[in-house]
Amino acid sequence: MISISDLLVDNQIPSNYFSSKSYVQGDLELGLLENRRGDRLLALPSTLIEGMYAGLKQETGQAAGMVLFNCGCWWGKNFYARFCEELTEYYKVAVADMPMIEFLQNLKQCWITHGWGRIELDQGLCDRGFVVVKTWNSPFIQFAEGATTPSCYLESGVLTSFFSNLTGRELGCVQTACESMGMDHNQFVIGLSKRVEPIQEMVQQGLSHDDIMARL
Amino acid sequence: MHPTIESLFDAAERRYLEQNELDVLTEYVESLPDRVDAYRCLRDREVAIMQSVADQLEIQFSTESQETLERCLRNALLMMRHAAMSMLQNDSELLDQQLTVWLTETNAVYNTRAIDTALYSLLNQQLEATLTPTQLKLIHPYISAAEQAMNAQSEPITVTA
Repeated sequence: MISISDLLVDNQIPSNYFSSKSYVQGDLELGLLENRRGDRLLALPSTLIEGMYAGLKQETGQAAGMVLFNCGCWWGKNFYARFCEELTEYYKVAVADMPMIEFLQNLKQCWITHGWGRIELDQGLCDRGFVVVKTWNSPFIQFAEGATTPSCYLESGVLTSFFSNLTGRELGCVQTACESMGMDHNQFVIGLSKRVEPIQEMVQQGLSHDDIMARL
Repeated sequence: MHPTIESLFDAAERRYLEQNELDVLTEYVESLPDRVDAYRCLRDREVAIMQSVADQLEIQFSTESQETLERCLRNALLMMRHAAMSMLQNDSELLDQQLTVWLTETNAVYNTRAIDTALYSLLNQQLEATLTPTQLKLIHPYISAAEQAMNAQSEPITVTA
């Protein structure tokens, strides 16, 4: 027999942890934006991102993309650790024991609440060893409009690192569609590093996401 | 807080409020004792209302796993708490932003539409038997919105770990 009192542990029912109304807090008079457990948040000015992109391009030329990708990897590694820490603390369950749907919903809400746009996972190619990630409204590609190749270097890095840590395998991530090239959204294909290498070549050849998917 | 009322408070830097705007505020303030009363009732009778729903749900879905029924009931408890808070603040967006989308996607994955439909029907019966007509009128729009969202669940999605 189900007991409602037993379902209310400490009279609390964990729900949407990253809900923006609950998650973003702070002491605005002291100039502090914080998340719900007191970690500091920052509103990153777009002019700063623009400056970083311009500075990187000036200093490193074509290597700027690789630098940003590596920055994204470091971001992803730390983001994954903190993300798991927050989920474990709030839901009182290890991430490994959390239902995948709840993990993914938290990731989606986390992405939205931090203002990184919207993120969706398409697991239709899981049986072939790939996950396709779609993002909308990336804050990092607005300075790359009119690009001829996908330009979400930071997101590619963060997704590479995040999913590598999640699966415990060394994964690669290749962007196959980009808002900076006039697409409605960005698409990334994630899989074992060796398996995504050919995708990178197809992107360089100018193949569309759908054409690439058809060839996998 | 209700978006319209919230926007009234934002207007201070530009001007004083018009009479019709003050009327909106007055209407909300006058409804507040009833809202607090309904909120208190839902809070105090939460366990009794939901236990009755749980007992009947177990009879109706006797072959369903306890884990699934408990998940549906836990989600309904969450929805009730958020609906009560939304009712207190007269803010339907609060329920939507914080919970409805979240629960709708979860329930679609677990494919619990039949259970949720029965659960909400039982819940409505319990609320009608427990609350006064005034209290029921205040909370009903929020429960109804959540129920509609549950019924509009998308087709089951397969999630693989």
